[in-house]
Amino acid sequence: MNKTHLLAGAAAGLALAAALPASAQSIDYGSLEQLFGEPVTTSATGSPQRSTEAPADMQIISADEIRRSGATNLQALLQRVAGVDALNSSAGQTDVNVRGYNQISSPRLLVLVNGRQVYLDHYGMTIWATIPVQLEEIRQIEVVKGPNSALFGFNAVSGVVNIITYNPQFDDTDVVTARVGTNGFSQGSLVSSFKLGEALSARLSVGASRQDEWDRVGTPVTVDQVHDPRAVTANLDAVAQLGASTTLRVEGSWANVQESLMATGTSYSVAKAITNSEKATLTSDTRFGTIQAQVYQNQLTAKYAIAGGINWENTITVASLQDLFKVGTAHTFRVGAEYRHNTLNIAPMNTSDVSYDVVSGSGMWNWQINPKLATTVALRVDKMSLERSGPFLPRSPNANNALWDRDISKTSANATVAWRPTDADTFRLSYGRGVQPPSLIELGGLELPIAAGPMTLDLVGNPRLKPSILTNYELAYDHDFAPIEAKLGVRLFQQDWKDIKTSISTATLDFFPTLTTNGGFTQINGLDSKAKGVELTASGKATPELGWRVDYTWTEVKDQPFAGVNTVLRNVAFAQTTPKGRGNIGLDWVKGPWEADANLHYVGDYQFYHMVGGLLAPVDAHVSLSGRVGYKMENGVTLALAGQNLLNERQKQTRGLEAERRIQFSVSKSW
Amino acid sequence: MQNQFKINCGAIAAVLALAAPGVVHADAAKDLGVAGRALTFLENGPAGKATLGVVFDPSKPASVAEKNALMAALGSGYAAGTLTLVGKAIEADAVGGAAGVQALFVTGGVNYGAVGSAAKGKKLITIGSDMACVRSGACAMGVETEPKVSITVNRATAAAVGASFKAAFRMMITEI
Repeated sequence: MNKTHLLAGAAAGLALAAALPASAQSIDYGSLEQLFGEPVTTSATGSPQRSTEAPADMQIISADEIRRSGATNLQALLQRVAGVDALNSSAGQTDVNVRGYNQISSPRLLVLVNGRQVYLDHYGMTIWATIPVQLEEIRQIEVVKGPNSALFGFNAVSGVVNIITYNPQFDDTDVVTARVGTNGFSQGSLVSSFKLGEALSARLSVGASRQDEWDRVGTPVTVDQVHDPRAVTANLDAVAQLGASTTLRVEGSWANVQESLMATGTSYSVAKAITNSEKATLTSDTRFGTIQAQVYQNQLTAKYAIAGGINWENTITVASLQDLFKVGTAHTFRVGAEYRHNTLNIAPMNTSDVSYDVVSGSGMWNWQINPKLATTVALRVDKMSLERSGPFLPRSPNANNALWDRDISKTSANATVAWRPTDADTFRLSYGRGVQPPSLIELGGLELPIAAGPMTLDLVGNPRLKPSILTNYELAYDHDFAPIEAKLGVRLFQQDWKDIKTSISTATLDFFPTLTTNGGFTQINGLDSKAKGVELTASGKATPELGWRVDYTWTEVKDQPFAGVNTVLRNVAFAQTTPKGRGNIGLDWVKGPWEADANLHYVGDYQFYHMVGGLLAPVDAHVSLSGRVGYKMENGVTLALAGQNLLNERQKQTRGLEAERRIQFSVSKSW
Repeated sequence: MQNQFKINCGAIAAVLALAAPGVVHADAAKDLGVAGRALTFLENGPAGKATLGVVFDPSKPASVAEKNALMAALGSGYAAGTLTLVGKAIEADAVGGAAGVQALFVTGGVNYGAVGSAAKGKKLITIGSDMACVRSGACAMGVETEPKVSITVNRATAAAVGASFKAAFRMMITEI
């Protein structure tokens, strides 16, 4: 998709809109939330639902919780969600996964902003600082636990983080914020909404931040491997009413980030990521249902200061069409089709490309059998066609473009039965089958020769990689103790992973040298794995001013490596690197202009790859405290003091750089 | 002992008597808030300022009490989302001649069958908190606020008065 054409079409739509009367058609989260008295989500089925009735295991972080938390970034917020694992490997970067199986450059979490994927599709990882939203413009963050690729497609295997920003058509958001703190921390942001005529609304946001990287003391990390994290982002979100029943939403963003990333668990490198995106969404209420056509393109320039400099240029274009409609009084359906094209240069030679096209069809059926019983079924079929073009390294062990001429077809599924025997009790039994395809880097985006004595060995991609498949079974129970304003939740879950992909290991040759080819190393499908677990959550109000929340998630992982696979050397020793326990205890308090929040986050013992040699070494159980105290004045100015890792000046949370205590003072003004 | 019992009963009765109007008033305000916001999800529905007819039966004390509570909540204008509702009390047998109202709220105890017929003749959407009214087809929409907000729409009645709700709203309510 040509970026110029995309923007030109969007601009024409916006121009057409300027003269037409305003009438809401896209989902007005705020009005629906005020009507039903609880958050509304579309992340479970694509149709709007009350958060307590969505047929998925979901936790929503509200705008109030975001503000009260004192968090200065998205990853700090996600660590407060029950069952979420976080590897805080540097001041700017955290790898996040749901219910175990976390790793450096975690590629199993689908992260979206208003339905657009914002994880980086060269590897499937998320660099959180590249996400072009300011915390002040987020309406809610929806965290869906477990596989959900039947609705969302690729990467929605361990979970989905769907960031919903305010809609400029319905929400007037104007706030400017400045933060300064210890260790060189400074951050500024501006969010401003405006109207251009009766039918055109827009919101502009910009932000910048910097802080000192965590200290290297006690680690073998060298000064050239780290960089103080810095980020600048901008986003424009415009909504036009094209008629009584049709809206066009156009979003464009840019981000420029530089920070230290832990690579493969045993070293650090400085990475620079520049992202651009353009997106247009046309939504229309018709006699055939709510039809939505969407097209977007993400461009990534990623530069890594390793092996003399590796630069990747990744472009993904996604076009989708869906219809959401209700038949009779009890049946809701969604049918959709999607096309995506994803392409990446092969680094570091940059004379070849690897790419794929994906064609998908999907459907969802929600049946409200009676007021107490509902069922939801979703299916999606993806056909991925792989291609490689261009020359190879001399003597490459994979020097045949025809190896990439293959199709991968997979089916994703979700099914849920929800039973509400009383107004206070909900039982939910669910099944999910998620598909995690290989990333473009794994499929061939890296062809790097390395010297090994008199020989040359190649790091290459593997066009034969199979997708990893996660099957998840879950039984959930929720009880609402309405008289005492408290809620209890229990989840029992079982995960079955097939064909988990590994990292490259230089300890074992995957290609033996021949007379005409070098030996080499690549990623492989290296193991199956199973996990079982329990998640307990409770929350409530002790007084009208004082809220409380507690959660604890226990998991046990058992890996089943394939013959000859060393899970430690290939960085997939999930049985050892997944902590058995993680949890939170939190309090929030609001009285008049004052508000406060405190959160204790616990992570149990686990092992992680040692910075020297890469073998496993222990990370002791640890507790970290974050919190904020804020005071809002009548003129819209809020003063706040916030901090993270408050219990310790330095704390070993991974085997890499140690997390440091950070404190910030902020001034914000809303109007 | 007997005196103490009488005192306690009297005290409880006094508390209930004082509390009852407040309870009615609070529920009426909640119903009104839900009904008003629900009206904003009508296709081509009222916008800005709209008049809600409050239908009551003067011979039924409960109906009159609910009407009074609703009218008190409406006051000089009740903001429900993008809509500002003002109230107009209408006796049940006068619905056929009602003018200048965009929707009707049917209080409990009213002979809703007759009101529903009159409303259909005038193409007015009828709302009530009595689900029997909705099930009978006299009310197009029913609202409940306890233990949580619940909205039920009678599709045939809504269609008969030309009321069509937006798709997102329809996905979140019960239709019969």
